[in-house]
Amino acid sequence: MLVLTRRANQSIMIGNDVVVTVLEVKGDQVRIGIKAPRSVTVHREEVYAELARENRAAATTPSAAALERLRELTPREPAG
Amino acid sequence: MSPERSPTVLADPTVITFPLGLCGFPEIQRYELNAWGGDGSPYRLMRALEQGGPEFVVVDPALFFEDYEVELDDPDADLIGIAHSEDALVLVIVTLGDPIEDSTANLLGPVVVNTVGGRAVQAVQVSPTLTSRARLFAHRGPLATVGG
Repeated sequence: MLVLTRRANQSIMIGNDVVVTVLEVKGDQVRIGIKAPRSVTVHREEVYAELARENRAAATTPSAAALERLRELTPREPAG
Repeated sequence: MSPERSPTVLADPTVITFPLGLCGFPEIQRYELNAWGGDGSPYRLMRALEQGGPEFVVVDPALFFEDYEVELDDPDADLIGIAHSEDALVLVIVTLGDPIEDSTANLLGPVVVNTVGGRAVQAVQVSPTLTSRARLFAHRGPLATVGG
């Protein structure tokens, strides 16, 4: 991992078109601004990690019994 | 974008392609969507075409979550080539509980399929109120256990 020291209002560039700027440092929190092209997706890492964990938990081959119970519980009409 | 109120008509089975894969499964891009559960079932199985790949139960969220809306950001819309919101099919991934009453739906990372061309994305939502473990059958009492 590359480690850089930056102050508030200083930036780093990743490639030619992604700019990460330290906006504010306050106690143990840092506000960060990210300028990136439309094609670049930016997420908090913990959200991605949570989805990855949930996807792994959901990956399953359901049994016929599970399906039957699921169908029993499922409403016939949209909620509301 | 509102989830479709009635299930969008898709050929069965339909092959869909996730250019970025699913979170945690980035390398697996092609899945087959199959009707599951017989006539009138809102469920589908989403099975990786790759041998031994993952398999998921997915469902139309409108049946369970009246106010649920999915926002598709620009990179995701570009990725799957959505031009009209009515081309989008929104599905949520179900984590089956034990017992089944404890099953949950992932509202934080819905799957959005472009029904024209079959490209799909797990569209990460930014709303702080959405959870990856929303109870499908909320009226049935508290979760016995909360994982994660």
